[in-house]
Amino acid sequence: MSLPRAVAAELRKTATLPAASAAFALGVLGTVAITLINAFGVRDALESGRTDTVAFTSAAETVFSAAPLGTVGAVVLGVVAFGSEYTTTSDGAGGGRQVTATLTAVPRRAAVLAAKAIAVVLLVGAMVAVALPVSLASAHAVIGEAAPGAEDAVGVASRMLGAGLYWALTALIALAVTVLSRNGVIPLIVLIVNGSLVSVSFLLTRVTPLARFLPDLAGMRLFARADLIAVEDALPPVTGGLVMAAWAVGLLAVAAAVLLRRDA
Amino acid sequence: MLSIEHLVKRRGSRVVLSDVSLRAEPGRVTGFLGPNGAGKSSTLRILLGLDRATAGTALINGRPYRSLRDPLRTVGSMLDGSGAHRSRRARDHLAWVACSNGIPRRRVDAVLEQVGLAGQGRTRVGRYSLGMGQRLGLAAALLGEPEALVLDEPVNGLDPEGIRWIRGLLRGHADAGGTVLLSSHLMHEVAEVADDLVVIAGGRVVTAGPIGAVTAGYPTLEDAFFELTGADAAGAAR
Repeated sequence: MSLPRAVAAELRKTATLPAASAAFALGVLGTVAITLINAFGVRDALESGRTDTVAFTSAAETVFSAAPLGTVGAVVLGVVAFGSEYTTTSDGAGGGRQVTATLTAVPRRAAVLAAKAIAVVLLVGAMVAVALPVSLASAHAVIGEAAPGAEDAVGVASRMLGAGLYWALTALIALAVTVLSRNGVIPLIVLIVNGSLVSVSFLLTRVTPLARFLPDLAGMRLFARADLIAVEDALPPVTGGLVMAAWAVGLLAVAAAVLLRRDA
Repeated sequence: MLSIEHLVKRRGSRVVLSDVSLRAEPGRVTGFLGPNGAGKSSTLRILLGLDRATAGTALINGRPYRSLRDPLRTVGSMLDGSGAHRSRRARDHLAWVACSNGIPRRRVDAVLEQVGLAGQGRTRVGRYSLGMGQRLGLAAALLGEPEALVLDEPVNGLDPEGIRWIRGLLRGHADAGGTVLLSSHLMHEVAEVADDLVVIAGGRVVTAGPIGAVTAGYPTLEDAFFELTGADAAGAAR
């Protein structure tokens, strides 16, 4: 048993799970769809000359304001990667859970978790590599001639990497939380609601400035422009990225410790 | 050889296993018999490194399962059904299992053929019947061409033809020099195939030895079983 084999097995395992494919599609199509909605809004504003009605006019910005939706796909990927281990096989097939097969195949649990984490990061990376360039190309296609001047290509590229990092770290946090909960449903609901509908983290910023250090808010500036975040005094990109990475590493360490001690 | 010595397992204040020792030798089928809840699965889960023992050891050729390199090439196992996620195709399940232990891909088709699922490899596991799930679990156990097989209630849900087939499979494995440890609460099934018996009740081994020695003095294995486990008395009291 070696880590590369375990990673290959986990990649294959996650990739052949319909829920993971759905998460991948959600991350890609969701981001492209929101980008298009943003882009049409920007084009209309530019063509009618009423740019005061939109918060931004650049094609890249339409992508970055859609990027939070990609985190939903990342969350689902992170959750199903481990949640699927604890789903009972249908009664018709003898009960049981996949975790039995997983841990008898790779009994070193730290290796299992490391392999899952690497597989999730690789899959999120693939999702980013499709979603963001396609979104950007779509935005350019829609806004086209109406766009005001050239964009800072290096800045856009680095923010895209930042968005990818944000998605990957979000997926790892989702993975770690699912290891602890041993069930995919609760982390899925909590993380998706917090990431899309009602941000509890954001509401907490109204209560305490410490909420800026919560993982989802800390990493915001990895891709979002400071003036487009509702949080005042958001952490700068590098600091925020490090804080978010620390959350992911810390939660994975706790997950590993629990996984090592717990009966399967 | 599989050797379990003085195994103790407590869950909270409940004692699941107290001082369980048993051996399964190469070339023999060892039946692990006991009523439901006697501790059969708990013993096998510890042997396979899934659960931790409170005390005692469970070794495979002298080594704990968790220290085996590519364990599926040494021990094939099946606990509670196939262990395959229901939305996955059977082939995809076996493919990742093979991949994790460096087992060649051709084994996937070989074991599907061997367990009689060659035509259903592309079916999602959730659509399998109980018997098909058991066959898939066996396919996964056989994947790495292991020396030892550890099977928990393998005949559950199998039809008479399936039961006959698995009996032949296990006998053949032992006759070829392999080690087979199978648990069951079905006496007849075990009596048909086992060379050695270990009978467990209430987390304790009540008797062990060659099947002839265990049943000596009783008309049938069933009589021996009820006498030794006290299951009859419990049943009568209810």
